[in-house]
Amino acid sequence: MGLGFFVGVFGVLILSHAAYSTIQYRSLLKIMEEEFSGPPMNVVAELLLGLVLCMWAGLTVPGQFLSIHPDSDDNRIVSLPANLDFMIFNHRGKVFASEMDMKLKH
Amino acid sequence: MVTKTEESQVNRLENQVDNGGGGAWEYLCLVRKLKVRRSDKVLKHGLSILNDPKKRSTLGPDEWTLYEQVAVAAMDCHTLDVAKDCIKVLQKKFPESKRVGRLEAMLLEAKGSWAEAEKAYSSLLEENPLDQVIHKRMVAMARAQGNISGAIEWLNKYLEIFMADHDAWRELAEIYASLQMYKQAAFCYEELILSQPTVSLYHLSYADVLYTLGGLENIQTAKKYYSSTVELTGGKNIRALFGICLCSAAIAQLAKGRSKEEKESPELHSLAALALEKDYKQRAPGKLPLLITTLKSLKIS
Repeated sequence: MGLGFFVGVFGVLILSHAAYSTIQYRSLLKIMEEEFSGPPMNVVAELLLGLVLCMWAGLTVPGQFLSIHPDSDDNRIVSLPANLDFMIFNHRGKVFASEMDMKLKH
Repeated sequence: MVTKTEESQVNRLENQVDNGGGGAWEYLCLVRKLKVRRSDKVLKHGLSILNDPKKRSTLGPDEWTLYEQVAVAAMDCHTLDVAKDCIKVLQKKFPESKRVGRLEAMLLEAKGSWAEAEKAYSSLLEENPLDQVIHKRMVAMARAQGNISGAIEWLNKYLEIFMADHDAWRELAEIYASLQMYKQAAFCYEELILSQPTVSLYHLSYADVLYTLGGLENIQTAKKYYSSTVELTGGKNIRALFGICLCSAAIAQLAKGRSKEEKESPELHSLAALALEKDYKQRAPGKLPLLITTLKSLKIS
């Protein structure tokens, strides 16, 4: 959590810095009375870096990925639950009396 | 549903608890969650927790769940005294509870006094006619008494109301299969596959039933369902692989007279045999010659 979280915060900070520099650049253009042709290089670089950092943080911080393959060990069903609602008690176990003398002591 | 990871986790915990490594409560929780039937272990380890006041008090409100679990396990192991004591404790804590009333009726059932148990269940049903568990107990009771046709009747009535209950469909399928009424069992498995298409074991059972029914068409369908089992399990289900081999052999034999039938692809058969050989080589090298002779005899016939 620690590292990924701080990387994510850093990525958001970079993105907000990019926004701030864009606004500044626009006002600079207004003063110099030039046409807007495209964002400056440093803003583009910041945007790309922020994107990568935020994406990395977003993929690592929430947790591990789970397998979606039906045949992976996490998803492959090897046995059905015993139908406990339909459990019946007169089975062979009756013959084998339990060897321990179990008692609920209170 | 018990997946591979969960199964190995249960087995590891059971080993640990049996060897006195602690973790009994985690084991009992897992058993309850996965609904596996290991009554002897549950009884032993559950009682050891319940008999230790210090451990019991750390559980908090979960203590009562443990009492219930141990009571059912004790009935399954026929240590009725323990079950009776557990139910008594629960009765004291929760008088008028229907859940405890159900446990009491189950105790009557375990004792074998069917008439009294039935009376208890029907009085519970009068209070709440839509209690699913009690309906299921009625079915189980009929089955325990050997009254299989009665159980089927109850179960069919139950399934008319609660059609989405797949556990009940499975029980009905198993009862039909035990009576060799394979057509009806096949219908139940179809229902199960419809409701849970990703559970490979239903595909496998359906294929088993179809193969048992016999006839060219059924066996061809069975082969398809064995194949879907292989697909869902990634080829780790040995029974499905054997099923494909057997179906191919049976189809070859049945279609011998009729040449107009389209040729079955031989690849599936040989691939299944290959996968089987690989698995045997890895896990049971001693049995490999046996497997090879079996497969050979299947190919010839």
